Amino acid sequence: MTTELPAWSEPFVGERRDGLARHGPWGRVDRDWALGDAGGRGIRVAIVDSGVEGSHPAIGGRLVDSVAVERDGADWRVVPAPPDDLVGHGTASAGVIHDLAPEADLVSIRVLGVDNKGNGGGFAAGLAWAIEQSGASIVNLSLSSRSDTFFGQLHELADEAYFRNVLLVSAVNNVAVASYPSLFAAVVSVAAHDVPRPDAWFYNPEPPVEFGAHGLNVDVAWRGGTRMTVTGNSFAAPHITGLAARIRSAHPGITPFETKALLAATADNAT
Amino acid sequence: MYVPGSLRFGLMNEPLDDRLLRALEAVAARAAVAARLEPAGGEAVLRSVADATVTLFDAEAASIALYEPATDRLVIRVAAGTAGEGAVGLALAPSEGIAGYVFTTGQPLVVSDVAADPRFDRSTAEGTGYVPRSILAVPLVDDGGTIGVLEVLDRHGDAGFGLRDIELAGVFARQATVAIRASRVERDTGELLRTVLAALAAPDANPDDVEAAVAAAIVGLDDGDDGLWALADAVARARAAAPGEVALVVDILDALARRAQPPAPRTFRR
Repeated sequence: MTTELPAWSEPFVGERRDGLARHGPWGRVDRDWALGDAGGRGIRVAIVDSGVEGSHPAIGGRLVDSVAVERDGADWRVVPAPPDDLVGHGTASAGVIHDLAPEADLVSIRVLGVDNKGNGGGFAAGLAWAIEQSGASIVNLSLSSRSDTFFGQLHELADEAYFRNVLLVSAVNNVAVASYPSLFAAVVSVAAHDVPRPDAWFYNPEPPVEFGAHGLNVDVAWRGGTRMTVTGNSFAAPHITGLAARIRSAHPGITPFETKALLAATADNAT
Repeated sequence: MYVPGSLRFGLMNEPLDDRLLRALEAVAARAAVAARLEPAGGEAVLRSVADATVTLFDAEAASIALYEPATDRLVIRVAAGTAGEGAVGLALAPSEGIAGYVFTTGQPLVVSDVAADPRFDRSTAEGTGYVPRSILAVPLVDDGGTIGVLEVLDRHGDAGFGLRDIELAGVFARQATVAIRASRVERDTGELLRTVLAALAAPDANPDDVEAAVAAAIVGLDDGDDGLWALADAVARARAAAPGEVALVVDILDALARRAQPPAPRTFRR
């Protein structure tokens, strides 16, 4: 049975995955060189999500800052917030990133709960803070906005991040509505694959979705010091974020474009 | 007061009157039907989507929660499957738990081993008398935004939820979203027209009364629905309108009547 939905995981699943073989000029680039052995040292990663539980063992004490977006009349502002997680999702993302890049510092930007009608204003405010003020060079986005109202603002933020040397990594959304900034060209967009290995990732030469990462039955940290098994594109994105942190740590000065190229060059389907 | 078959307007001498009358009566009839169906009709559509979801996924339960702006809560409106019956009516904070996360972010997800988290949704789950092992949750979303969440709980046997299940549940969620949007338009249209027609039908109605009736009718209409606001204005002006303006009202009513028709059933390609 097929549907007309945008099945973003489709290129990374089953037999279709075999068709992803790449023959790029990558013979002299290997995974060990690209990822290096610095483990993300010196890199700060922002996590725009439901908050991060700083005391969770899976975070390894790496949470260095925690803020939340608050409504301020018709506007939003970013204020210091306790290192808590309203749901567990942000902690899950942080745990995945810490697993892959244990030396990287983490910053939590909680945007959940300010904007329940989902028009995206609080999300855009949190993303702007992540890009401009968090000190992070990589931002992990497990959510996006579907509102045309914020298309322009989010597009400007994606470009601003790119030119400020900040890499945005965004989970794509498997619903039949466009969502931003995950579909913008300057962003690294990620869907889940169905290979049961956290260290497997694939590059898709037919965008908009460029990368497939571990997102099926992922063992993650969750709220309250616990762990859960979860599935979804939003758990694939932090895998790419963690890899990007290692690449940027191993190669100081590398740009978002070059980081993306190295991720593609060292993907499981690169030859 | 409007009596069926006796609708009369101050515009009756104009050539367009028959067309106007027919259009008004057609919309009024549709609105009357919609009023009789609501809320039972909307619930029935949601229930059928939930029932189909349980059957297709061979799940213990499925539920549909809709966001209610007045209380800022996600309220479970229907549930299917024996394990889901206790959940109807539960009100959840839209920023907490799996349903809240999926609603506020629009990002579908699956969680397993739910019971392993001592704090996870337990108060809500225990309120239903059922604590699930795994949850698949997808947003009810369209171009107008996110209006709720469809949840599927616990497959029979050991099969968990996979990536394709997320996409498939998304199709069901889309069906529910279309149905809910359509029934809301129909309900709001009915409220507006019944009130306006009642006022217009009185031969000597005071224009101020008409304005008041329109104002009363449009309270609570979905924000941003320009079509309904335009209709309200046009109907109010029609009492003193030239034939060309009356034609505008007829056109708007025709369009509205078409819009209020239930959507054609959707089929999937196989």
